[in-house]
Amino acid sequence: MESFSTKGTKISAENGFRNAMLGFLKDLLSKGFFDGIFVPIKVPAGDSYAWVLIQDKSVLDDANPIAPVMPVQGAKALKSLTRRGKGNLRIAAIMRPCEIRASIELSKLNQVNLENITLVSYDCPGALPLSDYIENPKEGEKSFDFSFSGEVWDDEATKPVCQMCDHFSLPACDLHFGLLVSEEKSIFLISNSEKGKRVFDEMKMDCSEDLSNWESKVAEIKKRKEKKKAETFKEIQPMVEGFDNLLDTFANCIGCHNCQSVCPICYCRQCYFDSEVSKPTSDFILLKAEKRGGLSFPLDKIMFHTGRMSHMSLSCVSCGLCTDACPVSIPVAKIFSYVADKTQRAFEYKAGENAGEALPMREFKLDEIQGIRELVDSAEG
Amino acid sequence: MDKLVKIDESSERGIVNFLKFLLENKKVSGVFTLRKTNTNGSVDYGLITETSGLDDAIPLHPLMPANAGQILSRFTPVKKPIAAVIKPCELHAFVELVKRTQGTLDNFLLISYSCGGAFPFKATVQNNVDKLLPDYWKTVSNGEVSREIRPTCKGCEYFVPMNADITISLIGEKNLDTECRMFLHTDKGKTFAEGFNGTLSEEKFGSSLIDSLLTRRKTEKEKLFTEVGIQDAGLDGMIDVFGKCIGCHGCSRVCPICYCILCDFESHKYDDNVTILEKELVHKGAIRLPPDTILYQIGRLIHMSFSCVGCGLCAEVCPANIPVSTIFMKTGGETAKIFEYIPGKDVEEPIPVMIFKKEELTEIGED
Repeated sequence: MESFSTKGTKISAENGFRNAMLGFLKDLLSKGFFDGIFVPIKVPAGDSYAWVLIQDKSVLDDANPIAPVMPVQGAKALKSLTRRGKGNLRIAAIMRPCEIRASIELSKLNQVNLENITLVSYDCPGALPLSDYIENPKEGEKSFDFSFSGEVWDDEATKPVCQMCDHFSLPACDLHFGLLVSEEKSIFLISNSEKGKRVFDEMKMDCSEDLSNWESKVAEIKKRKEKKKAETFKEIQPMVEGFDNLLDTFANCIGCHNCQSVCPICYCRQCYFDSEVSKPTSDFILLKAEKRGGLSFPLDKIMFHTGRMSHMSLSCVSCGLCTDACPVSIPVAKIFSYVADKTQRAFEYKAGENAGEALPMREFKLDEIQGIRELVDSAEG
Repeated sequence: MDKLVKIDESSERGIVNFLKFLLENKKVSGVFTLRKTNTNGSVDYGLITETSGLDDAIPLHPLMPANAGQILSRFTPVKKPIAAVIKPCELHAFVELVKRTQGTLDNFLLISYSCGGAFPFKATVQNNVDKLLPDYWKTVSNGEVSREIRPTCKGCEYFVPMNADITISLIGEKNLDTECRMFLHTDKGKTFAEGFNGTLSEEKFGSSLIDSLLTRRKTEKEKLFTEVGIQDAGLDGMIDVFGKCIGCHGCSRVCPICYCILCDFESHKYDDNVTILEKELVHKGAIRLPPDTILYQIGRLIHMSFSCVGCGLCAEVCPANIPVSTIFMKTGGETAKIFEYIPGKDVEEPIPVMIFKKEELTEIGED
């Protein structure tokens, strides 16, 4: 894949980040460059946000490109639109970096078609835990706005995975809004692909802005997040090493599989663990119970989680929706992030970072086969 | 007339002793009941086949990690007898599932109890249950509504099991710490209890404190319905309440009545075609994605609310804190009322929407 050097321009943000972003998108919609904008909007009752695809410019006024919560993963919402193939309309989707990364993973898994979709991202301040926001939406709006109002963003109110997210800026999107600008009342717009460049050309924007100030701010926050990540992983390690610890960690799991159903990567229409094959007969259950003296329900509690890990951790983008959806407050996202970090490292793969890079399990390299040959040889002595 | 077995132990120890008796004498092959799984207050449902396993059993513990009716129906038919101690709403769910041909009651000795309600998951997560228990048992003894139980339980009218073989009497019992009163309703119950050590007498189950709790629960139920206030609000009201739904469908997965292996709303049928969605976009100016948020709720209401036993798990697992169970109880209750139907009451009584009467066809003709 052709590498693309990032370039940017400055946009005025007199009325705040959100209005600057919306204004730009509205302009593109008016000029007919896009047929629809995919963006979060407050639900009618005002107590949460939903993904909406907007064509009517007046509706766009109510949208909130930087919503304080992420009730539904953007990639999942995009999947509902393009699972069966690309559409005819050209759409700009403005999403958090983890949503962009999940979209890229899903496109590799043939669940999202990005051909007519322009991915727009922004420096993400994180998102609030869903339960915190739902409990008091008004307070939520306030504490979220505070989290990225200062010079150095304060992420304390955001989800634990957001606090340790070192991928909060410039994912493999087409356009990116750089919000970490120290200068007053302006943001950067960065072109990050051929598609992004076309937008710049269309809007006759120059892209000669010096980004070094923004880059150093991003680097500064990244450092902080990396530190937090290392600390979190240290705390998670003893929780997941060995079967007994796993059992303890997931002791309150009720087997609702909410974590799987909200996971953008878990795209299976029917999870293996919900399917007919994983429903044993009464004879088998009784036999197993007799062998052990007792059997715990729901069955295969740990198998479900380890199974899900082996199915999706290579593509895990650490968006944290699993934790948001867990009714018994298990830190699922931290655990899966920890495991994903290890599995992705093993394959030198970074989920959602490069659309052109094949999924490790979807390709083979000749030397891997050689490796198997050696294994067989050594086994045969 | 019911047969009463009195055991000079606390209610919980008494029933555990009875379960031990059943296992030791090979009257049953297994016992299905709540267990303690660690010292942090975690519980699970266990199928126990050795008497030593019963040391961790807490059959009357006010927690509900899953609807046991759902678990039991899924592993039927069982060929060997199993004793199950479950809550009334779990038993009622089991009965509804049997009516919907999702299981059979054969070989189950069904033990239940007059139920004071269950604590929310939050209590387990915060490891708070032990602190709440003394007050909880006081309210059970006095026939009051505990403040700590789940909203759904506060408004539950069906806290006395309608078709258990054996009912342990808890509501209104003054001596829960020293006495276990076990009512044998069916021949099955009487046969299994034969040879068990306890004082036998004839007594009809029921008490005035049960009646007064019923009155209190009914008041609580009306309060719940008023709080949610959806009944007269129409589609706008639905949108207001369910607008924050994140579409995880956790409510359907934990629902004992939603037995479909693959929910209709997760099937190919509801995969939207991008060109249709785009047409809708052009027509409406904006569309919500994923679509069908309200349709899913209405669909589920139509599919299952008739059999809703009010176990409240849907509300417990909702990440958006939507009062799902109140809405489903209200809707289910109203539709069932038309047919004078009570979910889980009688395994022989057909579910009205699954049969037709000739005169109903005449009515259609008249319209």
